[in-house]
Amino acid sequence: MFIHSDKFQITELMLTLEDFPVISENTILKEALDEMDKFHLGVACIIDFKGQLLGIITDGDIRRKLSLVQKPLSFFFMDDVILHAIDNPVTIIKETSLTEATNLMYKKKIWDLPVIEDNRLVGLLHMHSVAHALINTNQ
Amino acid sequence: MLNNKMKKLEIGYGKVNKVHIGENLPLAFLGGPCAIESRDHAFKMAELIGEICLKVGISWVYKSCYDKDCRSSPESFHGLGKDDGLTILSDIRTEFKVPVVSDFSDAAWAPATGEVCDMVQVPAYLCRQTSILRAAADTGRVIHLKKGQFMSPWNMKNSVRKIESFGNNQILLADRGTFMGYNSLVNDMTSFPIMQKTGYPVCFDATHSIQLPTSMGNISGGQREFIPFLVRAAVGCGINALFMEVHDNPKKALSDANTVLDIKYLKNILEQAVLMHQTRLEILDKYGEDNVHPQ
Repeated sequence: MFIHSDKFQITELMLTLEDFPVISENTILKEALDEMDKFHLGVACIIDFKGQLLGIITDGDIRRKLSLVQKPLSFFFMDDVILHAIDNPVTIIKETSLTEATNLMYKKKIWDLPVIEDNRLVGLLHMHSVAHALINTNQ
Repeated sequence: MLNNKMKKLEIGYGKVNKVHIGENLPLAFLGGPCAIESRDHAFKMAELIGEICLKVGISWVYKSCYDKDCRSSPESFHGLGKDDGLTILSDIRTEFKVPVVSDFSDAAWAPATGEVCDMVQVPAYLCRQTSILRAAADTGRVIHLKKGQFMSPWNMKNSVRKIESFGNNQILLADRGTFMGYNSLVNDMTSFPIMQKTGYPVCFDATHSIQLPTSMGNISGGQREFIPFLVRAAVGCGINALFMEVHDNPKKALSDANTVLDIKYLKNILEQAVLMHQTRLEILDKYGEDNVHPQ
Protein backbone atom coordinates (compact mmCIF):
# COMPACT_ATOMS: atom_id res chain seq x y z
CA MET A 1 0.00 0.00 0.00
CA PHE A 2 1.38 3.40 -0.92
CA ILE A 3 0.04 6.47 0.79
CA HIS A 4 0.42 9.85 -0.87
CA SER A 5 1.04 11.64 2.37
CA ASP A 6 2.66 14.67 0.83
CA LYS A 7 -0.36 15.64 -1.18
CA PHE A 8 -1.60 17.21 2.07
CA GLN A 9 -0.53 20.52 3.58
CA ILE A 10 -0.31 20.73 7.35
CA THR A 11 -2.74 23.63 7.24
CA GLU A 12 -5.38 21.40 5.64
CA LEU A 13 -5.25 18.89 8.46
CA MET A 14 -4.38 20.87 11.56
CA LEU A 15 -6.97 21.90 14.10
CA THR A 16 -7.32 25.64 14.30
CA LEU A 17 -7.22 27.56 17.57
CA GLU A 18 -10.97 27.29 18.06
CA ASP A 19 -10.92 23.52 17.77
CA PHE A 20 -8.59 22.46 20.55
CA PRO A 21 -7.83 23.57 24.12
CA VAL A 22 -5.73 26.73 24.24
CA ILE A 23 -5.25 28.05 27.75
CA SER A 24 -3.21 30.57 29.69
CA GLU A 25 -0.36 29.68 32.02
CA ASN A 26 -2.26 30.39 35.22
CA THR A 27 -5.25 28.33 34.29
CA ILE A 28 -5.60 25.86 37.12
CA LEU A 29 -5.14 22.17 36.36
CA LYS A 30 -8.82 21.35 36.92
CA GLU A 31 -9.85 23.95 34.34
CA ALA A 32 -7.29 22.55 31.92
CA LEU A 33 -8.79 19.08 32.34
CA ASP A 34 -12.27 20.50 31.77
CA GLU A 35 -11.09 22.16 28.55
CA MET A 36 -9.53 18.91 27.36
CA ASP A 37 -12.82 17.12 28.08
CA LYS A 38 -14.77 19.77 26.22
CA PHE A 39 -12.80 19.16 23.05
CA HIS A 40 -12.46 15.39 23.59
CA LEU A 41 -8.71 15.77 23.30
CA GLY A 42 -5.94 14.60 25.57
CA VAL A 43 -3.87 17.69 25.11
CA ALA A 44 -3.98 21.40 25.88
CA CYS A 45 -1.65 24.09 24.59
CA ILE A 46 -0.55 26.84 26.95
CA ILE A 47 0.16 30.26 25.51
CA ASP A 48 1.12 33.69 26.83
CA PHE A 49 -0.69 36.92 26.07
CA LYS A 50 1.24 37.27 22.81
CA GLY A 51 0.08 33.88 21.61
CA GLN A 52 3.50 32.30 22.06
CA LEU A 53 3.50 28.65 23.02
CA LEU A 54 4.73 28.18 26.60
CA GLY A 55 4.11 24.47 26.83
CA ILE A 56 1.67 21.65 26.42
CA ILE A 57 0.05 19.29 28.83
CA THR A 58 -1.32 15.89 27.94
CA ASP A 59 -3.22 13.05 29.56
CA GLY A 60 0.09 11.24 29.86
CA ASP A 61 1.77 14.12 31.70
CA ILE A 62 -1.03 14.18 34.23
CA ARG A 63 -1.03 10.38 34.54
CA ARG A 64 2.69 10.40 35.30
CA LYS A 65 2.26 13.20 37.84
CA LEU A 66 -0.53 11.36 39.61
CA SER A 67 1.87 8.69 40.74
CA LEU A 68 4.43 11.26 41.88
CA VAL A 69 2.46 14.05 43.49
CA GLN A 70 2.23 13.54 47.24
CA LYS A 71 -0.43 16.08 48.02
CA PRO A 72 -4.23 15.97 48.11
CA LEU A 73 -5.91 15.78 44.74
CA SER A 74 -7.85 18.94 45.62
CA PHE A 75 -4.49 20.73 46.01
CA PHE A 76 -3.15 19.24 42.76
CA PHE A 77 -6.22 20.50 40.89
CA MET A 78 -5.53 24.06 42.08
CA ASP A 79 -1.97 24.16 40.72
CA ASP A 80 -1.27 26.46 37.81
CA VAL A 81 -1.24 24.19 34.78
CA ILE A 82 2.16 25.46 33.73
CA LEU A 83 3.71 23.74 36.76
CA HIS A 84 2.91 20.37 35.26
CA ALA A 85 3.32 21.18 31.57
CA ILE A 86 6.07 20.22 29.15
CA ASP A 87 7.83 23.50 28.50
CA ASN A 88 9.83 22.40 25.46
CA PRO A 89 7.31 20.50 23.35
CA VAL A 90 8.09 19.17 19.90
CA THR A 91 6.54 21.55 17.37
CA ILE A 92 6.26 21.89 13.61
CA ILE A 93 5.71 24.74 11.18
CA LYS A 94 3.09 24.97 8.47
CA GLU A 95 5.67 24.07 5.86
CA THR A 96 6.61 20.80 7.55
CA SER A 97 5.67 17.90 5.28
CA LEU A 98 3.06 15.44 6.46
CA THR A 99 5.60 12.61 6.10
CA GLU A 100 8.02 14.45 8.34
CA ALA A 101 5.32 15.28 10.88
CA THR A 102 4.06 11.69 10.96
CA ASN A 103 7.57 10.39 11.42
CA LEU A 104 8.04 12.82 14.31
CA MET A 105 4.89 11.52 15.97
CA TYR A 106 6.12 7.96 15.51
CA LYS A 107 9.65 8.55 16.73
CA LYS A 108 8.65 10.66 19.72
CA LYS A 109 5.64 8.50 20.55
CA ILE A 110 3.33 11.51 20.59
CA TRP A 111 -0.11 12.18 19.19
CA ASP A 112 -0.06 15.93 18.82
CA LEU A 113 2.19 18.51 17.24
CA PRO A 114 1.61 22.21 17.86
CA VAL A 115 2.00 24.26 14.70
CA ILE A 116 3.98 27.48 15.06
CA GLU A 117 4.16 30.48 12.78
CA ASP A 118 6.13 33.64 13.62
CA ASN A 119 6.60 32.38 17.16
CA ARG A 120 2.85 32.11 17.66
CA LEU A 121 0.72 29.03 18.03
CA VAL A 122 -1.55 28.71 14.98
CA GLY A 123 -2.80 25.15 15.13
CA LEU A 124 -2.42 21.59 16.30
CA LEU A 125 -1.78 18.55 14.16
CA HIS A 126 -3.56 15.64 15.83
CA MET A 127 -3.06 11.97 14.96
CA HIS A 128 -6.79 11.49 14.27
CA SER A 129 -6.78 14.04 11.45
CA VAL A 130 -3.66 12.55 9.94
CA ALA A 131 -4.92 8.97 10.09
CA HIS A 132 -8.33 9.93 8.77
CA ALA A 133 -6.86 11.82 5.82
CA LEU A 134 -4.45 9.08 4.89
CA ILE A 135 -7.03 6.33 5.11
CA ASN A 136 -9.51 8.24 2.99
CA THR A 137 -6.83 8.93 0.42
CA ASN A 138 -6.58 5.23 -0.28
CA GLN A 139 -10.27 4.44 -0.44
CA MET B 1 -0.52 36.39 38.18
CA LEU B 2 2.78 34.58 37.97
CA ASN B 3 3.88 32.91 41.16
CA ASN B 4 7.53 33.82 41.14
CA LYS B 5 7.33 37.36 42.47
CA MET B 6 5.41 38.47 45.51
CA LYS B 7 3.25 41.54 45.31
CA LYS B 8 4.36 44.44 47.46
CA LEU B 9 1.52 46.17 49.26
CA GLU B 10 1.34 49.77 50.38
CA ILE B 11 -1.31 50.45 52.97
CA GLY B 12 -2.24 54.05 53.56
CA TYR B 13 -3.54 57.03 51.66
CA GLY B 14 -3.19 60.69 52.51
CA LYS B 15 -1.32 61.77 55.59
CA VAL B 16 -0.77 58.53 57.45
CA ASN B 17 2.39 56.53 58.02
CA LYS B 18 2.27 54.10 55.15
CA VAL B 19 2.78 50.42 55.87
CA HIS B 20 4.56 48.24 53.35
CA ILE B 21 4.07 44.51 53.30
CA GLY B 22 5.94 42.08 51.09
CA GLU B 23 8.81 39.71 50.61
CA ASN B 24 11.98 40.61 52.49
CA LEU B 25 10.33 43.65 54.02
CA PRO B 26 10.13 44.18 57.78
CA LEU B 27 7.27 42.42 59.50
CA ALA B 28 4.14 44.56 59.75
CA PHE B 29 1.54 44.48 62.50
CA LEU B 30 -2.24 44.74 62.26
CA GLY B 31 -3.85 45.17 65.64
CA GLY B 32 -6.43 46.71 67.87
CA PRO B 33 -9.54 45.83 69.81
CA CYS B 34 -11.84 43.40 68.02
CA ALA B 35 -14.74 45.85 68.07
CA ILE B 36 -14.90 49.60 68.39
CA GLU B 37 -16.38 49.77 71.88
CA SER B 38 -16.48 53.51 72.33
CA ARG B 39 -14.70 56.56 71.00
CA ASP B 40 -12.65 56.95 74.17
CA HIS B 41 -11.64 53.32 74.27
CA ALA B 42 -10.72 53.25 70.57
CA PHE B 43 -8.51 56.31 71.02
CA LYS B 44 -6.95 54.94 74.18
CA MET B 45 -6.08 51.67 72.44
CA ALA B 46 -4.68 53.47 69.41
CA GLU B 47 -2.44 55.53 71.66
CA LEU B 48 -1.25 52.57 73.74
CA ILE B 49 -0.60 50.28 70.78
CA GLY B 50 1.04 53.08 68.83
CA GLU B 51 3.49 53.73 71.66
CA ILE B 52 4.40 50.06 71.86
CA CYS B 53 4.86 49.73 68.10
CA LEU B 54 7.08 52.79 68.12
CA LYS B 55 9.25 51.28 70.85
CA VAL B 56 9.44 47.94 69.08
CA GLY B 57 10.08 49.56 65.73
CA ILE B 58 7.29 47.85 63.84
CA SER B 59 4.98 49.57 61.39
CA TRP B 60 1.33 48.97 62.07
CA VAL B 61 -2.28 49.27 60.96
CA TYR B 62 -5.01 49.95 63.51
CA LYS B 63 -7.71 47.31 63.32
CA SER B 64 -11.14 47.56 64.82
CA CYS B 65 -14.57 46.73 63.49
CA TYR B 66 -17.74 48.78 63.56
CA ASP B 67 -20.17 45.90 63.17
CA LYS B 68 -19.55 42.37 64.38
CA ASP B 69 -22.04 40.47 62.30
CA CYS B 70 -20.82 36.96 63.08
CA ARG B 71 -21.36 36.89 66.81
CA SER B 72 -22.70 33.60 68.15
CA SER B 73 -25.55 35.22 70.06
CA PRO B 74 -27.97 38.00 69.10
CA GLU B 75 -27.44 39.30 72.64
CA SER B 76 -23.71 39.83 72.09
CA PHE B 77 -22.33 43.29 71.44
CA HIS B 78 -22.77 43.99 67.75
CA GLY B 79 -20.80 47.21 67.45
CA LEU B 80 -21.36 50.92 67.17
CA GLY B 81 -22.57 50.67 63.62
CA LYS B 82 -21.14 51.81 60.33
CA ASP B 83 -21.54 55.56 60.57
CA ASP B 84 -20.35 56.10 64.12
CA GLY B 85 -17.65 53.46 63.80
CA LEU B 86 -16.19 54.84 60.61
CA THR B 87 -16.20 58.35 62.03
CA ILE B 88 -14.11 57.13 64.95
CA LEU B 89 -11.72 55.27 62.63
CA SER B 90 -11.39 58.35 60.45
CA ASP B 91 -10.56 60.48 63.49
CA ILE B 92 -8.02 57.93 64.69
CA ARG B 93 -6.32 58.10 61.29
CA THR B 94 -6.10 61.86 61.59
CA GLU B 95 -5.01 61.94 65.21
CA PHE B 96 -2.42 59.17 65.15
CA LYS B 97 -1.41 59.14 61.47
CA VAL B 98 -1.97 55.40 61.47
CA PRO B 99 -3.68 53.51 58.63
CA VAL B 100 -6.87 51.76 59.71
CA VAL B 101 -8.66 48.57 58.72
CA SER B 102 -12.16 47.33 59.45
CA ASP B 103 -14.06 44.41 58.08
CA PHE B 104 -17.48 44.64 56.47
CA SER B 105 -20.11 41.92 56.40
CA ASP B 106 -22.52 43.39 53.91
CA ALA B 107 -21.56 44.36 50.37
CA ALA B 108 -23.54 47.57 50.75
CA TRP B 109 -21.19 48.70 53.55
CA ALA B 110 -18.07 48.37 51.42
CA PRO B 111 -18.02 51.78 49.69
CA ALA B 112 -18.24 53.69 52.97
CA THR B 113 -15.66 51.37 54.55
CA GLY B 114 -13.27 51.91 51.68
CA GLU B 115 -13.90 55.63 51.73
CA VAL B 116 -12.44 55.84 55.24
CA CYS B 117 -10.26 52.79 55.74
CA ASP B 118 -6.82 52.30 54.20
CA MET B 119 -7.49 48.58 54.08
CA VAL B 120 -10.75 46.65 53.95
CA GLN B 121 -11.09 43.26 55.54
CA VAL B 122 -13.11 40.33 54.26
CA PRO B 123 -14.31 38.21 57.18
CA ALA B 124 -13.21 34.58 57.13
CA TYR B 125 -16.78 33.27 57.03
CA LEU B 126 -17.41 35.34 53.89
CA CYS B 127 -14.11 34.70 52.13
CA ARG B 128 -15.68 33.06 49.09
CA GLN B 129 -18.79 35.21 48.73
CA THR B 130 -18.57 36.72 45.28
CA SER B 131 -20.64 39.80 46.14
CA ILE B 132 -18.42 40.56 49.13
CA LEU B 133 -15.22 40.03 47.14
CA ARG B 134 -16.48 42.24 44.34
CA ALA B 135 -17.44 44.96 46.82
CA ALA B 136 -14.01 44.73 48.47
CA ALA B 137 -12.26 44.93 45.10
CA ASP B 138 -14.34 47.92 44.06
CA THR B 139 -13.12 49.97 47.04
CA GLY B 140 -9.69 50.08 45.39
CA ARG B 141 -8.11 49.58 48.80
CA VAL B 142 -5.75 46.84 49.90
CA ILE B 143 -7.86 43.83 50.85
CA HIS B 144 -7.18 41.77 53.95
CA LEU B 145 -8.65 38.44 52.90
CA LYS B 146 -8.98 35.93 55.69
CA LYS B 147 -8.94 32.25 54.92
CA GLY B 148 -12.19 30.69 56.06
CA GLN B 149 -11.79 28.11 58.78
CA PHE B 150 -13.47 25.69 56.37
CA MET B 151 -11.14 26.44 53.46
CA SER B 152 -7.96 24.76 52.34
CA PRO B 153 -5.11 27.19 51.74
CA TRP B 154 -4.88 26.16 48.09
CA ASN B 155 -8.57 26.82 47.48
CA MET B 156 -8.03 30.45 48.52
CA LYS B 157 -6.65 30.89 45.03
CA ASN B 158 -10.27 30.90 43.85
CA SER B 159 -11.06 33.92 46.01
CA VAL B 160 -7.86 35.62 44.88
CA ARG B 161 -8.80 35.04 41.26
CA LYS B 162 -12.24 36.49 41.85
CA ILE B 163 -10.76 39.65 43.33
CA GLU B 164 -8.27 39.93 40.47
CA SER B 165 -11.07 39.48 37.96
CA PHE B 166 -12.82 42.46 39.59
CA GLY B 167 -9.75 44.60 38.96
CA ASN B 168 -7.97 44.63 42.32
CA ASN B 169 -4.57 43.07 42.83
CA GLN B 170 -3.74 44.30 46.31
CA ILE B 171 -4.39 41.39 48.61
CA LEU B 172 -3.08 40.25 51.96
CA LEU B 173 -4.07 36.65 52.69
CA ALA B 174 -4.50 35.65 56.31
CA ASP B 175 -4.75 32.38 58.16
CA ARG B 176 -6.83 32.30 61.30
CA GLY B 177 -6.94 28.58 61.90
CA THR B 178 -8.78 25.69 60.31
CA PHE B 179 -11.72 23.76 61.70
CA MET B 180 -10.73 20.50 63.32
CA GLY B 181 -14.01 18.73 63.99
CA TYR B 182 -16.41 20.81 66.07
CA ASN B 183 -15.59 23.88 68.17
CA SER B 184 -11.89 23.52 67.56
CA LEU B 185 -9.21 24.94 65.28
CA VAL B 186 -5.79 23.75 64.25
CA ASN B 187 -3.00 25.79 62.73
CA ASP B 188 -1.38 24.42 59.64
CA MET B 189 1.82 26.34 59.09
CA THR B 190 2.16 25.01 55.55
CA SER B 191 -0.70 27.33 54.64
CA PHE B 192 1.70 30.28 54.53
CA PRO B 193 4.00 29.08 51.73
CA ILE B 194 0.98 27.62 49.95
CA MET B 195 -0.96 30.89 50.01
CA GLN B 196 2.17 32.87 49.11
CA LYS B 197 2.20 30.85 45.88
CA THR B 198 -0.72 33.02 44.78
CA GLY B 199 1.83 35.81 44.51
CA TYR B 200 0.53 37.76 47.50
CA PRO B 201 1.94 38.26 51.00
CA VAL B 202 0.42 36.44 53.95
CA CYS B 203 -0.57 37.33 57.48
CA PHE B 204 -1.04 35.24 60.60
CA ASP B 205 -4.03 36.05 62.76
CA ALA B 206 -2.67 34.80 66.07
CA THR B 207 -5.56 35.67 68.35
CA HIS B 208 -8.35 34.11 66.30
CA SER B 209 -6.18 31.06 65.69
CA ILE B 210 -6.38 30.10 69.36
CA GLN B 211 -10.15 30.47 69.36
CA LEU B 212 -12.41 27.58 70.29
CA PRO B 213 -15.32 28.56 68.07
CA THR B 214 -18.63 28.78 69.93
CA SER B 215 -17.23 26.32 72.44
CA MET B 216 -19.01 27.98 75.33
CA GLY B 217 -22.54 27.55 74.11
CA ASN B 218 -23.33 31.01 72.83
CA ILE B 219 -19.83 32.45 72.79
CA SER B 220 -16.39 31.35 71.67
CA GLY B 221 -13.67 30.24 74.00
CA GLY B 222 -9.95 30.45 73.45
CA GLN B 223 -6.54 29.28 74.56
CA ARG B 224 -4.59 32.50 74.53
CA GLU B 225 -1.67 30.90 76.33
CA PHE B 226 -0.65 29.49 72.95
CA ILE B 227 -0.43 32.86 71.20
CA PRO B 228 3.36 33.29 71.65
CA PHE B 229 4.07 29.75 70.46
CA LEU B 230 2.05 30.17 67.31
CA VAL B 231 3.45 33.64 66.62
CA ARG B 232 7.02 32.32 66.73
CA ALA B 233 6.08 29.38 64.52
CA ALA B 234 4.26 31.52 61.96
CA VAL B 235 7.01 34.14 61.75
CA GLY B 236 9.52 31.35 61.33
CA CYS B 237 7.43 30.06 58.46
CA GLY B 238 7.77 33.32 56.61
CA ILE B 239 4.64 35.40 57.23
CA ASN B 240 4.81 38.95 56.02
CA ALA B 241 2.44 40.46 58.57
CA LEU B 242 1.13 39.59 62.01
CA PHE B 243 -2.43 40.24 63.18
CA MET B 244 -3.47 40.27 66.83
CA GLU B 245 -6.49 41.67 68.54
CA VAL B 246 -5.44 43.56 71.63
CA HIS B 247 -7.34 44.86 74.63
CA ASP B 248 -6.42 46.69 77.80
CA ASN B 249 -8.88 44.63 79.83
CA PRO B 250 -9.74 41.36 78.06
CA LYS B 251 -12.20 40.26 80.73
CA LYS B 252 -14.27 43.33 79.95
CA ALA B 253 -13.80 43.19 76.18
CA LEU B 254 -17.14 43.47 74.41
CA SER B 255 -16.09 41.11 71.63
CA ASP B 256 -13.79 38.08 71.59
CA ALA B 257 -13.03 38.42 75.28
CA ASN B 258 -11.58 34.91 75.39
CA THR B 259 -9.10 35.41 72.60
CA VAL B 260 -7.91 39.03 72.61
CA LEU B 261 -4.38 39.55 73.84
CA ASP B 262 -3.89 41.56 77.00
CA ILE B 263 -1.95 44.63 75.96
CA LYS B 264 0.53 44.02 78.77
CA TYR B 265 1.97 41.16 76.66
CA LEU B 266 2.00 43.00 73.35
CA LYS B 267 5.48 44.52 73.50
CA ASN B 268 7.07 41.24 74.51
CA ILE B 269 5.41 39.28 71.72
CA LEU B 270 6.04 41.91 69.05
CA GLU B 271 9.70 42.09 70.00
CA GLN B 272 9.97 38.34 69.66
CA ALA B 273 8.19 38.44 66.32
CA VAL B 274 10.47 41.15 64.95
CA LEU B 275 13.58 39.31 66.15
CA MET B 276 12.30 36.04 64.73
CA HIS B 277 11.56 37.72 61.39
CA GLN B 278 15.03 39.26 61.21
CA THR B 279 16.61 35.95 62.18
CA ARG B 280 14.67 34.16 59.47
CA LEU B 281 15.90 36.63 56.86
CA GLU B 282 19.46 36.14 58.12
CA ILE B 283 19.02 32.37 57.90
CA LEU B 284 17.80 32.65 54.32
CA ASP B 285 20.65 35.00 53.53
CA LYS B 286 23.16 32.51 54.92
CA TYR B 287 21.66 29.26 53.68
CA GLY B 288 19.76 30.41 50.61
CA GLU B 289 16.09 30.19 49.80
CA ASP B 290 14.28 27.03 50.72
CA ASN B 291 14.78 24.80 47.73
CA VAL B 292 13.51 21.39 48.70
CA HIS B 293 11.37 20.55 45.71
CA PRO B 294 8.63 17.94 45.51
CA GLN B 295 9.32 15.03 43.24
